[in-house]
Amino acid sequence: MANRGEIACRILRACREAGHPSVAICASNDAGSMFTEMADQVVLLNGETIAETYLDQEQIIQAAKDTGATAIHPGFGFLSERAEFANAVQSAGLTWIGPSALAIEKMGDKMTARQTMRAAGVPVIPGEEVEEVDETKALDALREASTRVGYPLLLKASSGGGGKGMRAVHDPADFDQAAAGARREAVTAFGDGRIYIERLLSGSKHIEIQVLADQHGRTIHLGERECSVQRRHQKVFEEAPGPTMNPELREAMGQAAVAAAEAVNYVGAGTVEFLLAPSGEFFFLEMNTRIQVEHPVTEMVTGVDIVREQLRIADGEPMSCGDLMLRGHAIEVRLYAEDAANGFLPSIGPLAVFRPPEGPGIRLDTGVREGDDVTPNYDPMLAKLIVWAPSRHEALQKMRRALDEFVVLGTTTNIEFLRDLCDASPVVNGSTTTTTIDELWPNGWNPPAAPLLEEAALLAAASAETLGLHRHQTNGVAASTNNGPVSPFTTVQRRFP
Amino acid sequence: MQHTFASKEGPLEVSLTKIAETFVLEGHELRQHNRGRLHLTLRDGRTCLAHTAKVGDVWWVHLNGRTYKWERIEPGSTGAEDEGGLVAPMPGKVLEVLVSEGDNVVAGAPLMVLEAMKMEHRIVASNDGTVTNIHFNAGDQVAQGATLLDLE
Repeated sequence: MANRGEIACRILRACREAGHPSVAICASNDAGSMFTEMADQVVLLNGETIAETYLDQEQIIQAAKDTGATAIHPGFGFLSERAEFANAVQSAGLTWIGPSALAIEKMGDKMTARQTMRAAGVPVIPGEEVEEVDETKALDALREASTRVGYPLLLKASSGGGGKGMRAVHDPADFDQAAAGARREAVTAFGDGRIYIERLLSGSKHIEIQVLADQHGRTIHLGERECSVQRRHQKVFEEAPGPTMNPELREAMGQAAVAAAEAVNYVGAGTVEFLLAPSGEFFFLEMNTRIQVEHPVTEMVTGVDIVREQLRIADGEPMSCGDLMLRGHAIEVRLYAEDAANGFLPSIGPLAVFRPPEGPGIRLDTGVREGDDVTPNYDPMLAKLIVWAPSRHEALQKMRRALDEFVVLGTTTNIEFLRDLCDASPVVNGSTTTTTIDELWPNGWNPPAAPLLEEAALLAAASAETLGLHRHQTNGVAASTNNGPVSPFTTVQRRFP
Repeated sequence: MQHTFASKEGPLEVSLTKIAETFVLEGHELRQHNRGRLHLTLRDGRTCLAHTAKVGDVWWVHLNGRTYKWERIEPGSTGAEDEGGLVAPMPGKVLEVLVSEGDNVVAGAPLMVLEAMKMEHRIVASNDGTVTNIHFNAGDQVAQGATLLDLE
């Protein structure tokens, strides 16, 4: 298991269910993390930084050899979309649980992907690729291309993903600064500063199609997920099926996604992302050649265990699922350790209390438990909360109840933001687009005022102090955190997995 | 039962009254049930369960889906003064320093770019002033609570 945290837990659990003995790897700052307890063996990696640990291909392959592992699952992020790692794994005589290195390469380089898709007859967003490597020449070429593409536009890193190396530009006057910033971020994160330009299709929905392909020539789609609700190009609220989807459009997009996968001889689980314009036209965005964060909503409505299928397919077996059957509605929200009222600034601290909701139709995918510390070392996502109900209306009701029940104390989270989101009219009526959050809260989100509750909380705090409840805390939280005055920090852009 | 908590308007004196097993504040009532479970009846009649945890001097309280933080001021301690220093709220690395010592800046002006929690953060001036000291260069690691630069 060449990954950590929540997704490592998800995959290690699937290994245990399938009867495959498993090996986890972990950096020293992850020793004792929840995922290490779900593997049959744990290998402690040498090194301090992410580059020296979870991104150290040689060390990871050596760990596999030393423990007698026969296959490597990369999860998402980290090395999951590095073609040279897929190659190295296979050269070492190990099974790579994912698509071929060539497929990763063709889809991973976003410019090549756009060209491949055009050739396969899959519609792509109008725009231009700039192959120029030299900084000055590239910026000149991009500026020139921008006048042809037209404003507003989106600058994207060819090696990018997850909002890294991405900038929206609405005014030509801001172009140079945005292009330089996107290049710098892309160079830092990916070692590749090539940028392409797409027209910014505002008012569009982000719809993605889950595909599965086995080594017996079968490629299918598992329907769509709508992930339009994003802040700074990072998804926070995902659902399946799409609230405005109809069977004809699903079939058209599903067939386009299958064509996209077949164009690169895809094997395993993958996701083809599309923008669905208000006109009803859809355009290829990119293909993620790995398991995706939001895969659980598809699992909930299709009944397919996507990770188990990955294991089966990598083993050379045919996939086990039959025809697509959608049942009910699933919603996922991503819980982050972040201050939603302060520009979504990441937060750290102890999980003094971590009490997830329970009950029918509720699924929690997490890699943390009560007593853990949230550190600045890794991505601030704490958990994915997924609900399933027979209808979208009931799924939203269940999500509201689940979020109200979710208690996290000691670290600031976005729970209240997610709860507020569930009441926002575009979410309630399903008309969300990729700009919904910015439109709902143009000046940033703040929790709705509730003076009575705040006063009651003060009563609870004073009573708890009087009762000496802190002397009975079992979680051993003693560290003093100085919250200080209002933070002078504003978050600019997320940069790593 | 007297306690002092920090609020935006300064120290807040809280005076609890206890009637039998019930704590009362501003018409809200609280009773402790077994094993520390706190049952609240709000002034408007709503009832809810409160979860609490103390981290450092801060009481974290969850009730009705909302989470509040109340920092208790220990008797005898002095409140933190804002000395005009810009402090790193988390560990990270300085990517860029955008000003020089002696520069006059206006509130909101970008001063530094910091990488923390795998994100880029821009540090902006909290008020108008002159940069008197810059404590870190690009590439430096900074600890949580470190003063990054001084503004007068």
